[in-house]
Amino acid sequence: MSAIHVDELEAIELDDGFVWRPVRRHFDIRAFGVNAYTALGAGGQIVEEHTEGSLGHEEIYLVLRGRALFTVDGHEHELAAGQLVFVSDPELKRGAVALDADTVVLALGGKPGEAYAVSAWEPMFAAVPLARAGRWDEAIALHVEALADQPDHPSLLYNLACMEARGGRSLDALLHLQRAAELEPRWAERARADEDFASIRSEPGFPT
Amino acid sequence: MSGYQIVTLADLDRIEVPGSPVLRPLRHALGVTAFGVNAYTGDEPGDVVIVGHSEPGGPEELYAVVSGHATFTIGEDTVDAPQGTLVHVPPDTFRAASAAEPGTMVLAVGAKAGEVFAPTGWEDFYVAEGMRQRGDLKSGRAALRDGIARNPAAWQGHYNAACFEALAGDVDAALVHLRRALALNPAEVGRLAGADSDLESLRADRRFAEAIG
Repeated sequence: MSAIHVDELEAIELDDGFVWRPVRRHFDIRAFGVNAYTALGAGGQIVEEHTEGSLGHEEIYLVLRGRALFTVDGHEHELAAGQLVFVSDPELKRGAVALDADTVVLALGGKPGEAYAVSAWEPMFAAVPLARAGRWDEAIALHVEALADQPDHPSLLYNLACMEARGGRSLDALLHLQRAAELEPRWAERARADEDFASIRSEPGFPT
Repeated sequence: MSGYQIVTLADLDRIEVPGSPVLRPLRHALGVTAFGVNAYTGDEPGDVVIVGHSEPGGPEELYAVVSGHATFTIGEDTVDAPQGTLVHVPPDTFRAASAAEPGTMVLAVGAKAGEVFAPTGWEDFYVAEGMRQRGDLKSGRAALRDGIARNPAAWQGHYNAACFEALAGDVDAALVHLRRALALNPAEVGRLAGADSDLESLRADRRFAEAIG
């Protein structure tokens, strides 16, 4: 069926305390970004504090139900159902907390002047519940699939290496971690303190 | 506020064109350029909120029921869509929707996969028509000229510009646009122009008769 109620979407609780409802992935939309977000309760984070600087997206956040307190560029705005904030400047920091327990925010995004490409954070978010359950092969498969479209995406490579190290695929983990560090040296520094790599930190070739 | 805007959907312009649902021109109001996004309102049960159509070779679309309750027809299926329902429709699939409750609003989001988004001509017309309905014909004419500049090969833009110029009394400009529209689609433009009351001010001009034949 090509229709779903937002409450029936998969609910993926993320470490920052908000709940991702993957709309784009559910329908396999390829022309624009779209996702819904809910909170764990009133006062909980519903849109993570972030910028779109790396993606260059302009974004609309529509309150579909309930109320949310948005903070955009340091300014607070309380929005109710049927109200939205359009953030055209990707560099502006934005985030929101739910004011009602059942608040839903629908987020739409894309980069002006470019055809839409699926954002790398999506497979990483989608892998979170798999990783929590120790289903490493499935979590790895999500990253490998995403890398087919973006083979040199440093954070995807790094996250894949984490999953592979946890899943016992030491050699694959080392290779992907090395590639991430080649592309962005900051990943080598991060890896040195990352618990995910405890099993391979003493291996030859671990980035230093 | 610089770099962001706050909007209440219910406060957006209402653009009512006979035979079409009430458009709330969100994309134009915000200046969104990465994807298409507009809202449609059905005030009473039975009001059309999405006119029946498909988009062969065009955008994939997502509809979100923002308020009220809608009934969609997707292909041959009927979909009951209370507030909070999301409906995804591939380009070639027929879709239509009507309000099932007073005060129904549907948000429509669309773009073509693999291509840079560009606004389509129908939106220019609706925006221009909204301006005309508010008595601001000058801005409506300007909006249509902007649309023609973006998409000069679309007959609809030139035809609508001919109508607006004729309503404004600029016969020469109206005839230029009408001739251009006729060159791009003689059959459809000839059929429309013959009976369109917007072009009334042109009919006494011999150039009009020469143009439509």
